[in-house]
Amino acid sequence: MTVVAFSDVDVLDILVVLAVAVTAVLAVVIPRRVSATIAFLVFGLLLALLWARVAAPDVAIAEAALGGGVAGALLVDALHRRQPDSPQRSRRRTATVTAVGAVLGAVTVAALVTVLSRLTAEPADLGPLALEAVERSGVSHPITAVLLNFRNLDTLLEIAVVVFAAVGAAALSRDRIRPVSDPGPVRRVIAVVIVPALVLLAGWLLVAGTSEPGGAFQAGAVLGAALIIAHLCGVHAARAEGRRALAIVVTGLVAFIMLGAIGLAATGTWLALDLDWAFAAILAIETLLTVSIGMALAMLFLAAGSRDEGSVTDARARAAAAGGAP
Amino acid sequence: MTTLQLFLYAGAFILVLGVVATMLVRDLIRRLIALNVASGGVMLLLLALADRGDGEPDPVPQALVLTGIVVMAAVTGIAIVLARRVERLDDDLEEVEP
Repeated sequence: MTVVAFSDVDVLDILVVLAVAVTAVLAVVIPRRVSATIAFLVFGLLLALLWARVAAPDVAIAEAALGGGVAGALLVDALHRRQPDSPQRSRRRTATVTAVGAVLGAVTVAALVTVLSRLTAEPADLGPLALEAVERSGVSHPITAVLLNFRNLDTLLEIAVVVFAAVGAAALSRDRIRPVSDPGPVRRVIAVVIVPALVLLAGWLLVAGTSEPGGAFQAGAVLGAALIIAHLCGVHAARAEGRRALAIVVTGLVAFIMLGAIGLAATGTWLALDLDWAFAAILAIETLLTVSIGMALAMLFLAAGSRDEGSVTDARARAAAAGGAP
Repeated sequence: MTTLQLFLYAGAFILVLGVVATMLVRDLIRRLIALNVASGGVMLLLLALADRGDGEPDPVPQALVLTGIVVMAAVTGIAIVLARRVERLDDDLEEVEP
């Protein structure tokens, strides 16, 4: 049996990977929601560190803003509710199911590791091809070129997913958005200081994304965070609810589809961009996507935090208070 | 073992851990966390694969992961809304048939 030698590996890499694995285990094993959520948030932050190690600064920014920021806010906001008691099941059956799951999981990991150990260390052919074609894309940052030009159908479908999620969440929580209690002077100052700074940062990430790490996703996540903070601090001008917010969210998707049609008319290929106007088109569509994604994330946050009205219990209480028959 | 292999094996472990936990855990919020952990494993696999070789990293998997992060945030949002709905219905059922 050969001893696994880690001599070629940076000690820091081993430590970060170990920490990531441990927090992942904790996040799924701990029974209490609060503790599991905290473990997951630490997991997300450590992942952002790891992304910097695999030369993916764009992903690190997005992970920090979305994984740690918006998703964290969503999960933490869900915690203020009571955790329902888990249904009583026989201990033996639970143990059996867990054991079967653990064994099947171990077998799958072993199979995956066997496959992965046979991969060559050579990069795939697609990467160099994409890097070579960047100069014909209209922007100089390779990831933005892939997202908004070479594979912009993926991005179109992604924005469609985001729009459907926002519309669905808004429909499920209609009329139950929690009104904000009067924000004290501290929260007002926070809004005045942080929200403009975040909007500025979003704008910078958006424009910088054409030539260096950044782009519509990261900018959208930061804008969404700004809208959520504005909401929590009682700024009503930017409320992410109602028809106006829906219209803003849908605009990004509609504009992207129109861009596809323009590409069809101008170049004969759906979603293709002509180098003459590719830069302008990419920056324009990225701006709309940033606003759409930001608004959609804020809508999802508000919907997830909506209050629990309209349940049978509430209706009964109200009927009793009114003195009428339920 | 190389750095690439370390990252790939860790990615495979986290992915499978998340998928198994998603199927076994019964609490809805914890199940959602497990799904997010699984997506972290997929991202680690893809990004480690993108960073093979000495040159610039492959932008295509990195773009895929970026798309995945945004989709996962949207999925998390709507799943929390649905989980609240389900739990409220469960509370109501308990109320009606104690």
